[in-house]
Amino acid sequence: MKLAEMEQTDKGANFENRGAVRPFQTQPKLETRNLKAFFGKTEAIKGISLAIPDRKITAIIGPSGCGKSTFLRCLNRMHELVQRAHTEGEVNLDGANIYGPGVDAVAVRRKIGMVFQKPNPFPTMSIYDNVAAGLKLNGVRNRKRLDEAVERSLKLAFLWEETKDRLKEPGSGLSGGQQQRLCIARALAVEPEVILMDEPCSALDPNATSRIEQMMVELENEYTIVIVTHNMQQAARVADYTAFFYLGQMIEYEETDKLFENPKMELTERYITGKFG
Amino acid sequence: MDMGLEKLTNLVLEMASLSEKSVSTSIEAYSTGKNLSAEIKTWSDELGKMQDEVADLSIELLARYQPVASDLRFIQSSLEISYGFFRFGRYAYDIAEVLEMFGNLSDCDHSEVDITAKTTKEMIRMSIDAFAKRDVELAKNIGKLDDFVDEKYREHISKTLKDPSIGLKCALSATLVLRYLERISDHSAYIGDSVLYIVSGERNPMK
Repeated sequence: MKLAEMEQTDKGANFENRGAVRPFQTQPKLETRNLKAFFGKTEAIKGISLAIPDRKITAIIGPSGCGKSTFLRCLNRMHELVQRAHTEGEVNLDGANIYGPGVDAVAVRRKIGMVFQKPNPFPTMSIYDNVAAGLKLNGVRNRKRLDEAVERSLKLAFLWEETKDRLKEPGSGLSGGQQQRLCIARALAVEPEVILMDEPCSALDPNATSRIEQMMVELENEYTIVIVTHNMQQAARVADYTAFFYLGQMIEYEETDKLFENPKMELTERYITGKFG
Repeated sequence: MDMGLEKLTNLVLEMASLSEKSVSTSIEAYSTGKNLSAEIKTWSDELGKMQDEVADLSIELLARYQPVASDLRFIQSSLEISYGFFRFGRYAYDIAEVLEMFGNLSDCDHSEVDITAKTTKEMIRMSIDAFAKRDVELAKNIGKLDDFVDEKYREHISKTLKDPSIGLKCALSATLVLRYLERISDHSAYIGDSVLYIVSGERNPMK
C-alpha cells in the first residue's frame, strides 16, 4: 500500500482532532486544542489536540520533519522566539491557556522547563552557578536557599555525588552525560511543573543515556515529562504514553505498550517497524 | 531483520511439515500394527533441535533489532507455535510407543481412534495453513473442531467404564492414543490462537 493510500485508510480516527485525544482517565496536566504552528506561511503543526497526563512520561515519536520538536516548543511558548513563527489554537496548563491574553511567556517557561538535544551549560559559569542561574534571575539572593536548591536539584538529577566536592569548577569541564544532567538540574532548580525534553540523549553514549533514563523514571513521581525522541526503544523503555506524529499531524496516541505491541494505524505500524522513515 | 523473519518462517514451516508427517505415520502405524517407533523417535528428536533453533533465532532477532508491533508479535508467536509443532512430534512418538508397550492390537476396535485421528489430522493441517497464510478465519475454526475431539475422548472413557467386555488391553491402549490425540488437537487450537495474535494483536480470551 502506498503512503498516500494509507493516510486515507487511517483517516477518521485521530486525524480529525475533534476533541483532545486522551488515552487516560485522569485530569490532564497539559492539553492542546487544535494547535497549529507556522514558520512564515508554512504550517508545521496542523491542528493537533492531545492531552498530556500529570506526573507521567509522554513520548513523541515520528520521522524527521514531522513536527515533534516544533510541537514541544509550542508547549512552553518557545516556538514564538523563532523569527516569523507563530502559533494558533490553545495549550492549556491545568486548564488555563498559556497563549491567553496577558499571559507572561517567561512565567510560562518557568513552569514548563526545557532540556535540549545538545547539553548547553553556561560555559563560563561554575557547576553551582549553572544550577543557581535561574533562581538568581528570579531574584533569589539568599545563600542558604540557593545552597539548598542547588543540592536538591543536583540530587534529583543524580549528579550530586559526582559534583558535591567540585561545585566551583566550570560546568563545561564535565562529561557530556554529566553536562546533560547539569542542564536537567538547572531546569529543575526553578521548580517547574512540566519538563520538556527534546532528544535529551541523542548526543550521549549508552551509559550516559541509561543514567538519564533512570533519572527520568525517578522524576516522574514529581514532574510531568514530555520527551521527543528518535529512539523508539527509548520511548518504549521510559514512556507511559506515546504519540506518533507524521507530517505535522498526530496519527496515533496510546499507552506505550499498546502502541508498540499492536498499533491501530497502518502508518504507525509501518514507521515503528522501520518500513519507512 | 526481514531476512531473519523469513528464515524464522521457513524454519517453523519445516517443523510443521515434519510434525504433520510424524503424527500421520504414528496413527498409521497404530492402525496397521507396524512398529515405527524408532523412526518416529528420530523425527521427534529432530523437531526438538529445530525448536531450539527457532528459540535461538528469535532471541537473536530480539537482541539485534528490538522489533515492535507485528514483527514482535510474529517472533513471540513463532516461539509458541514451534513449541506446538514440537509437541506434535512428542505425541506422535507416544502414540508409536503404545504399540511397543501393548504388542499386537489387531483384535481391538480402532474405529474411535480412526474417527478422532481424522479430525486431529485435519486440525493440524488447518493450523499449518492458518500460519502459512495468516488466515484468521481458518485459525478461529480450529477451536470448533477441538470440541469434537474432546467429546470423543470423554465418550470413550465413559463407554469403557460401562463396558468391561472391551478388554483391558484394548481399552487402555485406545485411551492413551485418544488422550494423545486430544492433546494434539489442543495444541492445534493454541497455534490458531497464536496466528490470531500475529494478525490482529488480540489474544483469545478463552485461552
